[in-house]
Amino acid sequence: MIRHLAGKVGGALVSLLFVVALGFLLFRVIPGDPVVAMTRGRPVTGDQLAELRARLGVDKPLTEQFVDYLAAAVRGDFGTSYVYSRPVLELIGERLWPTVLLTGTSTVLAVVIGLWLGIRGAWRRGSRSDRISTGLALAQWAMPTFWLGMLLSLATGDLFPSGGMRYPDTPPDFLSQSLDVAHHMVLPCLTMIAVVYAQYLLVMRSSLLEEMHADYLTTARAKGLRDDLVRRRHAVPNALLPTVTLVFLHLGLVVSGAITVETVFSWPGLGLLTYEALTGPDLPLLQGTFVVLAGAVITMNVFADLLYRVLDPRVRAS
Amino acid sequence: MGIRRFGAVTAVAALVVLPVPTPAQAQQAVTLRVAITQQVDSLNPFLSVFQAGTEVGRLMYDYLTAYDVKDQHPVEGLADRWESSPDRLTWTFHVPEGKKWSDGQPITAKDAAFTYDLMMRDEVAATANGSFTAEFESVTATDDRTLVIKTKQPQATMLALDVPIVPAHVWSKVTDIAEYRNDRTPVVGSGPFVLTEYRANEFIRFKANKDYWRGAPKYDELTFTYYKTADAAVQALTKGEVDLVNRMGPAQFDSLKDSEGITRNQAQGRRFNEIVINSGAATRTGEPIGDGHPALKDVVVRRAIAKALDLDAIIAKVNGGYAQRGTGPIPPVFADYHFKPESPYPYDPAAANADLDRAGYARGADGIRVSPEGRRMQLRLLGHASRAYDEQTAEFVKRSLAELGIVVDVQIVSDNQLNEAGTAGTFDLQFSGWGTNPDPDFILSLHTCGQRPNADGKGGTTDTFFCDPEYDALYAQQRAEFDPAKRRELVRRMQQRFYDQVPAVVLGYDNALEAYRSDKFASFPVQPDPGGVIMAQNGVWGYYGATPVASAGQDGGSNTGLVLGVVAGALVVLVGGVWLVGRRRGLRAEDRE
Amino acid sequence: MTAIAWQRRRAAAGATWREFASQRGGLVGLVGLAVITLLALLAPWVTDASGLDVTRVTARPWEPPSSTYWLGTDHNGRSVLLLTWWGTRISLVVGLAATVLSVLIGTVVGIAAAHFGGWVSAVLMRFTDFFLVLPSLVLAIALSTVLPRGLGTIVLAIGVTAWPATARLVRAQTLAVEARPFIERARALGGGHGHVIGRHVLPAVLPLVFVNTTLTVASAIVAESTLSFLGLGDPTRVSWGSLLHAANMHGAVSQRAWWFLVPPGLGVVCVVLAFTLCGRALETVLNPRLKGER
Repeated sequence: MIRHLAGKVGGALVSLLFVVALGFLLFRVIPGDPVVAMTRGRPVTGDQLAELRARLGVDKPLTEQFVDYLAAAVRGDFGTSYVYSRPVLELIGERLWPTVLLTGTSTVLAVVIGLWLGIRGAWRRGSRSDRISTGLALAQWAMPTFWLGMLLSLATGDLFPSGGMRYPDTPPDFLSQSLDVAHHMVLPCLTMIAVVYAQYLLVMRSSLLEEMHADYLTTARAKGLRDDLVRRRHAVPNALLPTVTLVFLHLGLVVSGAITVETVFSWPGLGLLTYEALTGPDLPLLQGTFVVLAGAVITMNVFADLLYRVLDPRVRAS
Repeated sequence: MGIRRFGAVTAVAALVVLPVPTPAQAQQAVTLRVAITQQVDSLNPFLSVFQAGTEVGRLMYDYLTAYDVKDQHPVEGLADRWESSPDRLTWTFHVPEGKKWSDGQPITAKDAAFTYDLMMRDEVAATANGSFTAEFESVTATDDRTLVIKTKQPQATMLALDVPIVPAHVWSKVTDIAEYRNDRTPVVGSGPFVLTEYRANEFIRFKANKDYWRGAPKYDELTFTYYKTADAAVQALTKGEVDLVNRMGPAQFDSLKDSEGITRNQAQGRRFNEIVINSGAATRTGEPIGDGHPALKDVVVRRAIAKALDLDAIIAKVNGGYAQRGTGPIPPVFADYHFKPESPYPYDPAAANADLDRAGYARGADGIRVSPEGRRMQLRLLGHASRAYDEQTAEFVKRSLAELGIVVDVQIVSDNQLNEAGTAGTFDLQFSGWGTNPDPDFILSLHTCGQRPNADGKGGTTDTFFCDPEYDALYAQQRAEFDPAKRRELVRRMQQRFYDQVPAVVLGYDNALEAYRSDKFASFPVQPDPGGVIMAQNGVWGYYGATPVASAGQDGGSNTGLVLGVVAGALVVLVGGVWLVGRRRGLRAEDRE
Repeated sequence: MTAIAWQRRRAAAGATWREFASQRGGLVGLVGLAVITLLALLAPWVTDASGLDVTRVTARPWEPPSSTYWLGTDHNGRSVLLLTWWGTRISLVVGLAATVLSVLIGTVVGIAAAHFGGWVSAVLMRFTDFFLVLPSLVLAIALSTVLPRGLGTIVLAIGVTAWPATARLVRAQTLAVEARPFIERARALGGGHGHVIGRHVLPAVLPLVFVNTTLTVASAIVAESTLSFLGLGDPTRVSWGSLLHAANMHGAVSQRAWWFLVPPGLGVVCVVLAFTLCGRALETVLNPRLKGER
């Protein structure tokens, strides 16, 4: 177990390093002088440009920049945003919690809804409600997230705020603030749920179906256990395992969803930050969000693996 | 049972979408809520370069002088009087008594001296506005009321020093300008508003400075809420979430035409759009760089391009009619310097074709012209991926030039790539555009020889690689000319030269499209008046002078009410309940086993 | 290969087809695909492409649906119906090309990882796992920001981010095939890597790869629309994603211009759904374990 854990964490660390390196390579491939972009459209002298370059370190050779970058990245320093002139990590920190709030809430709700509908579907396989819910799930899975978001905001008209996370003029007390945030979160949350839950539904349904053919279930039924008991005590917990793992494995999907949903609804999170960094592009910022988002998913995967081991008695025993 | 549960969910969902009543705000404060679609890059006025950021700086800090709301001539800022020595190298500003920082400390000439001095000493402090102090010899406050600035050479922008003056007693304690975020509220300032709350990328909140020397604003609070797109901002305006919106697209502007309670403002803008023609990119020393099409060095070809472009069609289709035809780099909003050619290029493809025929650009078998040197007339046109304008206009350019027998490859690239290609001269045609200031010096300087990059391709902010002795001579003259009428004539001649040589075709001047809730705010000062803008002025008259309607203040905006709380609670209860029921059943089953 | 073997394969294909045809979802998907592909192919003949040229537009922008413009007009006054129709072509081409690229990479990596074993396998699987957990959209965004705008970039960005799932699948299948005795026999008879892979592994893996391809196309098309929506597509071409990008940029929501918003998105949903249905049906046919479950 310990060895396994060490192996997993070690592997994740290697992956993380790889991500950092990849981030650098990707964003320094651009043959762009960021300083020109930064100063476009306002009065600057040549000396100022040179100073800016030196300050940003973009006048050094690439290899040197890479070494500097790696050393800094290990310290958690991802450089300074060209656009905001502020440390990238600080900007990311500011945007972290809105994203966690949005993705957290919608993932939890999507998991609950998806698993519940999946179990029902598998149990009543072939029934009309199963066909409808599976069909609906497939259709929703096929929808581009941002499109659904735009449709929702078109359809709901004036009922919900057009974007952002809160109004500036909301009273500062906790209740009003939370309600305001909740009000702003309804549409983005619904959008994310709608697209993500389908995945969970389909996997839960098919893994439960597979489970139901297992010999032990026949045995259990032969013992005279009632059907719903068999389902609840044996089939569901076993089928839950792959699904739980999947929830974590598909965090990449959630991250993708966050980028587009936050863009559509101006939700001030990491996804919107990524989108904002695209135009320009603000390389250090994009690099930072790339590393952080990829890193988060990698970390979550390690958790998924550990969770799997804790949950599954078969793996635990070995 | 599943259906029932589903029904409950639907009911909850229905509750969520019920219109939420808007509770009146506790105090009857009147707030002007402004939507911004551009980031505030920094609250630190020494670092902020974005338009939204500089505007926030203007709200918090007065400049030494201000621009008149009517016609933008220099008027009292922190200084109320000024004079210059006969050689124009020494300027003396008088800072009157009685003006106070928002913390009650008096504003003195020492504050101004401190600010300029900081920018001259600390290169980081020169990030945003360093060009204004680059030619300063010395800045001294001879006493609390008198500021003396000596410059190395005559500087035309001495009454247009767009530098926010910061309080010395606060900023002298700042050790690292680059790291100073200036967000410790309330931020001590001198402007009509005091920053009280800042949430990056969400909103910025100001309270009116009741002791402002021009008089207190007519309302209590000012908020800027950030929206990702102009579209979202317009929605917020129609929903009554905000009171003032700018940077609208033509379609959005049109859509508000008959909206009740909303008044639109079509203003003359300060921006122009142009297509730069690579007429021979070279470094400062005249070393050719890049790979522009050699035929573009021929002024006949450039003039033919100018004649072939249907500017009116572009304005009608791409700008939705909300723009003026382009001539020179100074938009008509600055009427003194705007250029009106005596014989403008007509839209005349036939004439353009004839010119090219005469100059020896014969059409090949495929109808594409070939230059006398034998090069096929195939041009790259680079546009910004971030700007819809480029993409749409490119189609018009492509078609117009096709009629001349010139093939255009449209390449829409990231801003970085475009700028890089621009500096390296690796383009044939390129979209560009600039915002301009009341003083034309900077925008004219872009086309002087000295703005071309140095040998290693760095430095300089040339737009066109234009290098013309006649233009440069005129530029130097206008710079040293302090008689307004004479300077106007010099500037006109420069633009005439520019127009004749066509290093770029100025396509048009975008209108600034704004709209506000006239059911909440009766009027806003525009600059210039008439025909000017409310937001993005040379100053903050629009915000400062906004007049609320008599009954304003009751409407707290669409706010969240109790209903939502009920809904949130219901959701939690529902989810929890489902889970609990499921668990209980599980337990029961276990017992029974 | 002998005639008998061919006959056997033909018979097997026939059986597969009959089984596929017995699945209603799969058939619906297939018919849908056929119709959409046909429409896409016919676009240049049935419609007038000059309607896509903004410089030749006669209609007003943002016209709601009418008898002349069944789906209204966009911000330039072009017919949304025409745009959506033509958008099908780019969306399909990008989706298919990206899928081919991704499946190609995935198959090569998967077979290599299983066939060669040892450190090659270890390195390749490490590599695959790394890309598998990397959020693909984030990587695709990074790639398309870095590279010049264009169809090739989009195809590349999607192709190089979507392959790891295929690689794993192919590897598992290859391992299973290579464990069978006839492979050992072939090796004993002196069959080299090329022979074993070309003659035995590939034919056994291909059906699975085919299923995988169908499913990958679906996600590739969604990916294309997402990247284009974020403004990373080729702006000079009309695709469903670029239409939605334009709708967002030019304020379709604030204009309440549902006719500009709904059709391109619906196009994506239809195609993706069709591919998914086909893929699932194929999967059921080719994976006996799932038979009778869906």
